[in-house]
Amino acid sequence: MNETTRRFGLMGVCVVIPAILVAAWSHAAQTRLKETASEAKDVAIASVSDDSYCTPQLKAIIRRVAGACGLIDGAGGRGCQPMEAKKVAALSGDDFNALFKPLSKRAHIIQFDASKTELDPDAATAIEKAWSDQRGASFFFVVSRASTDGAAALNETLSRDRAKAVLDHLQSKFKDGDLKNQVGLLWLGEQYAQLGDEFCAWSRSRSTACTDVEINRSAFVAWIDCAI
Amino acid sequence: MMRNPDGSLALDGDLDQPESGRETRWPLIVLVVGALLGCIFSAVSTSDFIQHLDRQVHSIHCSFIPGAGKELGESGCKAVMMSPYSSYFRESLWGGMPVSLWALATFAFLLYRGGLLLWRGKPTRPETLFLLAATALPVLMSLVYGYLSVAKVGETCKVCVGIYVSSAMVFMGAVVAHQKNSAPHDFTPLGGKFALWFVEGVLFVAFLSITYVIFTPSPDAKKALAGCGSLVSGDDPNEVMIPLPSGDGEPAIEVLDPLCPACKAFDERLGTSSLRKRLDLKAVLFPLDPACNWMVTEALHPGACAVSEAMLCAAGLSGTKDQKAAHEVLVWAFKNQEKLRDLAAKDDNAIRSKIESTFPKVKGCLGGTQVKSKLTKSLRWAVANAIPVLTPQLFVGNARMCDEDTDLGLEFTLSNMLSKQGKLARSQKKPGAAKP
Repeated sequence: MNETTRRFGLMGVCVVIPAILVAAWSHAAQTRLKETASEAKDVAIASVSDDSYCTPQLKAIIRRVAGACGLIDGAGGRGCQPMEAKKVAALSGDDFNALFKPLSKRAHIIQFDASKTELDPDAATAIEKAWSDQRGASFFFVVSRASTDGAAALNETLSRDRAKAVLDHLQSKFKDGDLKNQVGLLWLGEQYAQLGDEFCAWSRSRSTACTDVEINRSAFVAWIDCAI
Repeated sequence: MMRNPDGSLALDGDLDQPESGRETRWPLIVLVVGALLGCIFSAVSTSDFIQHLDRQVHSIHCSFIPGAGKELGESGCKAVMMSPYSSYFRESLWGGMPVSLWALATFAFLLYRGGLLLWRGKPTRPETLFLLAATALPVLMSLVYGYLSVAKVGETCKVCVGIYVSSAMVFMGAVVAHQKNSAPHDFTPLGGKFALWFVEGVLFVAFLSITYVIFTPSPDAKKALAGCGSLVSGDDPNEVMIPLPSGDGEPAIEVLDPLCPACKAFDERLGTSSLRKRLDLKAVLFPLDPACNWMVTEALHPGACAVSEAMLCAAGLSGTKDQKAAHEVLVWAFKNQEKLRDLAAKDDNAIRSKIESTFPKVKGCLGGTQVKSKLTKSLRWAVANAIPVLTPQLFVGNARMCDEDTDLGLEFTLSNMLSKQGKLARSQKKPGAAKP
């Protein structure tokens, strides 16, 4: 083999083999790229929470309550009258309370003094803690009550003002533009869905003794993790 | 016309043949073996690079044994390959021209030159001198890339080390071959011979580069210009976005998790790109940690919620954001990702104490109701825009860069999205859910 043949032969081998490899690898990548271009990718999309306790029945009731309170469909209003709440819920008081039982770890019961609507420091802290634990929930329900002590009309006013006290505190503390679309107030007075003393075991703003009278001088606050 | 003793046409180094080439035989064998090893290592590296041009995730080789140690997941080899130093011309070619391809061409050329001298025997002094000069190039590049690997990327790549060792072998072979070459000194001008051999070397590089450009997968022009989906609204009514160091160009949003390794790598790639100056970049925090993020069920990055809170606290919860302070937290978190994740996995309070001791400014804010609420707003920004649950994501204007373009194709795609055609394509896109 003469020098020229040797030179160009060796040069050809040394340059052509890598070139063939590069072309083959690139072609394989191009083929795979075409094959995968049309494949749908299975990636979750960011969404609000929809917990397992959100049964269709619960969602239907939440939708009714939230709708009546102007929280959905851009109604922009807020506040449900006691009787209206009963009407939209279309449930007995016990069944209404049962709806909230799955929220035992999310809810806080804000307690008030008899005939008072002012929040004490612990109540304020509990409200802030509850609000900041929104996660993926869409609605923050404030369900306020009064004990059966005193006149029914006064208790209705008391429960309304207690709900309003919670809302006012949230507004002053968080200055959050989403409040009006997320907070639903239901003041029940003494007439509807009184809490039983089993709710004394829930997270309360006071660690003092709890009776079925004291537990109803309260506002029940919780984020509802249901997408409706 | 001069002819060799066998009757063939005499070319460059064929004249003035020394009487014996035995003393250069072994050094040339070392050089050829080194060049062959260099070819194999650089071919493995090039193959790994090219397979990623299909925009998928692949296992890559990471071993001192050529072709062995193929592994999926994080490795020094992957970090180096995904770094901006692994290829050139990234803005004009998707992924760029891999530097390992040029290494392959160089070693192939050295294999050819060394093989030729070994086969023919009796190399002249100009031939071994040229070989010495030619082998200095991979040594020089190995020094440069070794430094970049350690100092800039912070990782070492075993396949790259194989290339460095091969470079040293060819250089040592060339040094000894030239030293031991007993051929008579050639006093004729070397310029012509050297130029011819140099041109041969350039042809090797050019031929492989052209082959690569011809066969490299072509990107989807539409996606390169307009991305994959767009935001429903890029507005920030709850002031959750944190400004990041950048220029004052096109508004862009980086959705990130401070303890996500891919986000760190992405931020580094973006940081080393000159295109970052053409963006007005803001971060939206999206920690993949169930402690605050209801959209994930597994703690992919434990502690990410605490670090995200720290960033929000450092930036300030309302009013003008303290970009510098927030970025300091992010840089620290990126630097200590593994340690912080491990710490948080054991005890969430421990990471919070660690953050507070490192950044006393966030004390009193971290873990508070205000910052928790702000972080929830950040996550709900993702919900409002229906973006995929993954990090990192980059939105240029309202257009989402396709996931497959966020690593090797980042600069090509970003350059396209920022071009006039890109702006036009993005403006014609209707707002909607960001597609993965």
